[in-house]
Amino acid sequence: MTTAKRLPALTVIVLGAVVMVLPLLIVLNNAVKSPGDYSAHGPLALPHKIYLSGIKSFWTRVDFGRMLLNSTVISGSVAVIGVALSLLNAYAIGIGRIKGRTWVLGFFVLANILPQESLVYPLYYVAKQLGLYDTRWSLIIVFSVIQAAFGTYLLSSVLGSFPREIIEAARIDGANSWQVLWRIVVPVSRPTLGVLMVFFFIWTWNEFLLPLVMLPSNDNQTVAVALGVLQGQRLMDATMTNAAGLLGSLPAIAFFLIFQRTLTRGIAVGAVK
Amino acid sequence: MSTARRPLVLTAMALAASLLLASCGSSGGGQGDGKTLKLWHYEGADSAMGIAWNQAIAEFKKTHPGVKVEFEAKGFEQIQKTASMVLNSDDAPDVMEYNKGNATAGLLAKQGLLTDLTPEVTKYGWNKLLSPSVTTTSEYNAAGVMGSGKWYGVTNFGEYTMVYYNKDLFAANGVKVPTTPEEFTAALAAFKAKGITPLANAGAEYPAQQYLYQLALTKADRSWVNAFELYKGKVDFHDPAWTYAVDTFADWVKKGYIAKTSSGAKAEDAGVSFISGKYPIFFSGSWWYGRFKSENKFAWGSFLWPGSKLTLGSGGNLWVVPKKAKNKQLAYDFINITMKQDIQNALGNNGGIPVAASPSAITDPASKTLIENFNKISAADGLAFYPDWPVPGFYDVLVSATQKLITGSGSPDQVLDQLQKAYDAGVPTS
Repeated sequence: MTTAKRLPALTVIVLGAVVMVLPLLIVLNNAVKSPGDYSAHGPLALPHKIYLSGIKSFWTRVDFGRMLLNSTVISGSVAVIGVALSLLNAYAIGIGRIKGRTWVLGFFVLANILPQESLVYPLYYVAKQLGLYDTRWSLIIVFSVIQAAFGTYLLSSVLGSFPREIIEAARIDGANSWQVLWRIVVPVSRPTLGVLMVFFFIWTWNEFLLPLVMLPSNDNQTVAVALGVLQGQRLMDATMTNAAGLLGSLPAIAFFLIFQRTLTRGIAVGAVK
Repeated sequence: MSTARRPLVLTAMALAASLLLASCGSSGGGQGDGKTLKLWHYEGADSAMGIAWNQAIAEFKKTHPGVKVEFEAKGFEQIQKTASMVLNSDDAPDVMEYNKGNATAGLLAKQGLLTDLTPEVTKYGWNKLLSPSVTTTSEYNAAGVMGSGKWYGVTNFGEYTMVYYNKDLFAANGVKVPTTPEEFTAALAAFKAKGITPLANAGAEYPAQQYLYQLALTKADRSWVNAFELYKGKVDFHDPAWTYAVDTFADWVKKGYIAKTSSGAKAEDAGVSFISGKYPIFFSGSWWYGRFKSENKFAWGSFLWPGSKLTLGSGGNLWVVPKKAKNKQLAYDFINITMKQDIQNALGNNGGIPVAASPSAITDPASKTLIENFNKISAADGLAFYPDWPVPGFYDVLVSATQKLITGSGSPDQVLDQLQKAYDAGVPTS
């Protein structure tokens, strides 16, 4: 009886999964197809022969190993710095309950909803003035701040409902603010911080516009920008674009799979509360 | 214990930061010492330009021992979106490929980001190699309008549109290859009678507007083109040429020569449907040539639009030298090498259209026809550029206009009004 009850829900989930996976399968299908095969039989036909030159030549053409390193350094640093910033901000707002915190939070939300396109020119000029243009630092700083704006907003509300008794008990035991943060708040909210870190990493990984603008030289570019190299003026190389798409999404998928337990734990903690 | 741990944490953080710093060190661009040539272009490595320019780089290294060539392959979008910012910084390359036109090279020239190449052009004699309608896109005036003024770029290659046709499908259906406008429409009708839609089209991108503009060009002359493209005269979209174009286009849709379903198709779809043998005719640019050559599994050929002295096309993309380039002399030397005979011949033999090749050196017979047709058009001053050039955003207006004609949601008259309005709003007043 229970299976009969679950059936509709299951069908919906399976359908949803198929819809989500289908584009990835199409990318995979065309990534291993020769251009002639693609032109003759279209994007949906299965490859007549497995053809890996597209993936290989894309890898060497853009020096993909280097792009991977760049993306990892940038996204990894942003994840760590962004979470650290969010935590410090949120500690002051959520637990320290500083004056005017609603306004401060409002400011962060505003910073969060500001479209990146409007930031491009100011960021470009500032980066140029500081000598950070065309360095990976420019992106690490910018994205740490952008992601921290969202992180502050989220963490503040989480820490706002932090059980005060624990903090008061620690205070009575003589802990100072730093110790309360480091020994009480951080361990308890570790799952949430883990989730934030994973999100920051993947969001930064997928960023396109700012890396495109801030990192003109190929040596510093990220994976997302490298994929854009294939965009011709009038022609597109469909199979190589698919090969690139496959290579570009694999690391993010791998990262997600590795950290999915952190994710589910973080969400489960929220559910229990 | 907690106090003992704090320095540890701090040290760890400091260490991490210094590691990051080390790994993010500067990219080490060369200073202006005449020892490095920083070169950017966005042609595929196996395209005609890619092959020829690679050869040019090898040649450059041979003639400039001790000079390092820092070549970076870029994406079209990447250069298009970031050029003005990169060129305004100290990371500007010494020589770069850039898209021709008022909205692109013209804009950079107007902003003072490009070096005036006029002295070099006369010194090296590049102007003697290029025909007038090819040089139009190299010269820009103070307002950034092409066609006159100073040289801000030099082109290496040309491009033009032609009718590609599937010889096998023509033979199988007993259709004669047309040489006059009447025969052309007769061929379209003959295919339709056999249940085949003759023209491959893409309404969501440039192919549809290229059909439309070509139809207008059959009734136009040079001064009409100059008025429309270079603002040398009044432009009335209700004139005979444009009226003929929209009426014929709408008529062809009604008769089924152009599929109604093509309104949402992309250029890639149209090209692929021609390659897979679904449509016998595809009118588009020489940029498809190399791909058709390697992927078409049937006999095919090309001819110029019957009965038209003008066709779409122009000089190719430009070599530009940024104002902030550090090694300009090396850049000039490199451009000069790409204009030399052997590099130009390499371009021609790989499916490109060189501007200064020696015809006898082109060994591939198909490429020979391609180049001869270009030379014919170019010598007769027949390159009429592209319809989306004159005003910013006109490309999207043309897409929407042709889509209306394809779906029948707008009458030819309404479409002309729409074009007129957008054109008048965007045309520079000075």
